Amino acid sequence: MTVKKNDKIDFGKSFEELEGIIEWFESEEVDLDEGIKKFERGLELAKTCKERLKEVENKVNEIKVKFGEIEE
Amino acid sequence: MKAYTVTEFIEFLNAAFSEAVFPEGVTIEGEVAEYRVSQNKWIWFLLKDEESVVSCFATVWQLRTPLEDGMQVKVFGMPKVYPKSGKFSVVVERAEPVGAGALRRAFELLKKKLGDEGLFDAARKRPLSRFPERIGLIASGESAAYSDFLRILGNRWGGVEVNHVHVQVQGQDAERSITSAFAHFNTHPELADVLVLTRGGGSLEDLHAFNSEDVARAVFSSKIPVVVGVGHERDESLADYVADVRASTPSNAAEIVVPDRGEIEAAVDGAARRIGSAMEREMRERLARVDRFVHRLESVVMNAVSSFRHRLRDFSAAMKTFGDGIASMQRARIRLTERLVSSATSWANRLTGRLLADERLLSGLDPENVLKRGYAIVRAGGRALKDADAVRVSDNIDIRLHRGGLAATVTEVKE
Repeated sequence: MTVKKNDKIDFGKSFEELEGIIEWFESEEVDLDEGIKKFERGLELAKTCKERLKEVENKVNEIKVKFGEIEE
Repeated sequence: MKAYTVTEFIEFLNAAFSEAVFPEGVTIEGEVAEYRVSQNKWIWFLLKDEESVVSCFATVWQLRTPLEDGMQVKVFGMPKVYPKSGKFSVVVERAEPVGAGALRRAFELLKKKLGDEGLFDAARKRPLSRFPERIGLIASGESAAYSDFLRILGNRWGGVEVNHVHVQVQGQDAERSITSAFAHFNTHPELADVLVLTRGGGSLEDLHAFNSEDVARAVFSSKIPVVVGVGHERDESLADYVADVRASTPSNAAEIVVPDRGEIEAAVDGAARRIGSAMEREMRERLARVDRFVHRLESVVMNAVSSFRHRLRDFSAAMKTFGDGIASMQRARIRLTERLVSSATSWANRLTGRLLADERLLSGLDPENVLKRGYAIVRAGGRALKDADAVRVSDNIDIRLHRGGLAATVTEVKE
């Protein structure tokens, strides 16, 4: 799977899914067919996460708030 | 001289105080005494120094600074004579503790109050998103805290949107600007997964806004989790205590809200490795399991074979015993036969002996043998004649001799 620039992935979800796969491998009686599927998915997620980690810049937006204006 | 009515006099005094003498109000410094609150609405206390005392009055909603007897304070207000009682007092709008001791004491009092209300309860603290996409930053855009936070954030993590609201973190407007920023983010929750309130360190006076009840309540009631990072490690504020997570410094706040790129990268690499090795281990285990199975199968077969061998051995031993039995039986049979034969022979011999004796005896009885010895057999009418009376004179008789016979006629019968 390749990540397009505009196709922003949810890093948290991908990473957690990856962690889930490790946990699955390390805690369960591994079914071989399922294991191969998870293995492939895990490698795919690792690749996706690595792609996302290449993003270096953080974007800063200035938000104007008039004090006392938002007293809802 | 003009004579005032009492009402006129008091009105004049109050007008003189507020319009001429203290048009901007008055600031008085002294020590609080006889502090009391009535009906949870009205606050009364005395402000005193070594020689004098002045009465002070305030409403609970207006005077938010917690006071107690013995505290050194500056009060801001307006002197006033109450028409009904003629009593003179200062109507206090706000009060500020004076000196480190008093500030510390006011801080402690508010801390206790908010603590008792449950604002610091660990149970209400929410976990932060591990990988926030948007961060709401509440800080002064000119502060070192702001640039420190962004620098460390950038060092650690990328691809995050920081929505910054510039606020005053010190001075009169600080409280209001901070609470407004919280209100803004909470009405636009799409702007932030986490809020960061931060400023550099300072004295208790500098940190006033961060120790104020309003800011503490704004942090407490935020629907978005809040990280508060104030000053240097040793500074602490009430906002810190209320925050979902307390950061020791602005940089530490950045460390708390985003993970470290390197660590996560290592974790991702590690994950790929762990999955790979888990898979490998699994395969190895499976092979080992097949091996074990084969071994077991083998050993079952071997057991069967060896037990067969055992049985075979048992069987052959049994056969041997059986054979031995037969052999010994045969030997016995031979012995028996031998004995039988030998006893039969001796029996036969004995029998033969007896027969010979009997024969001898019998041969003594044979009439031929008697005839040999000179005897004769006389027959009359074919029957051996044993009595002379059986014949009469002139009867014919046969006489048998050993060799030949005679035909005779009875001539005389003798008695």
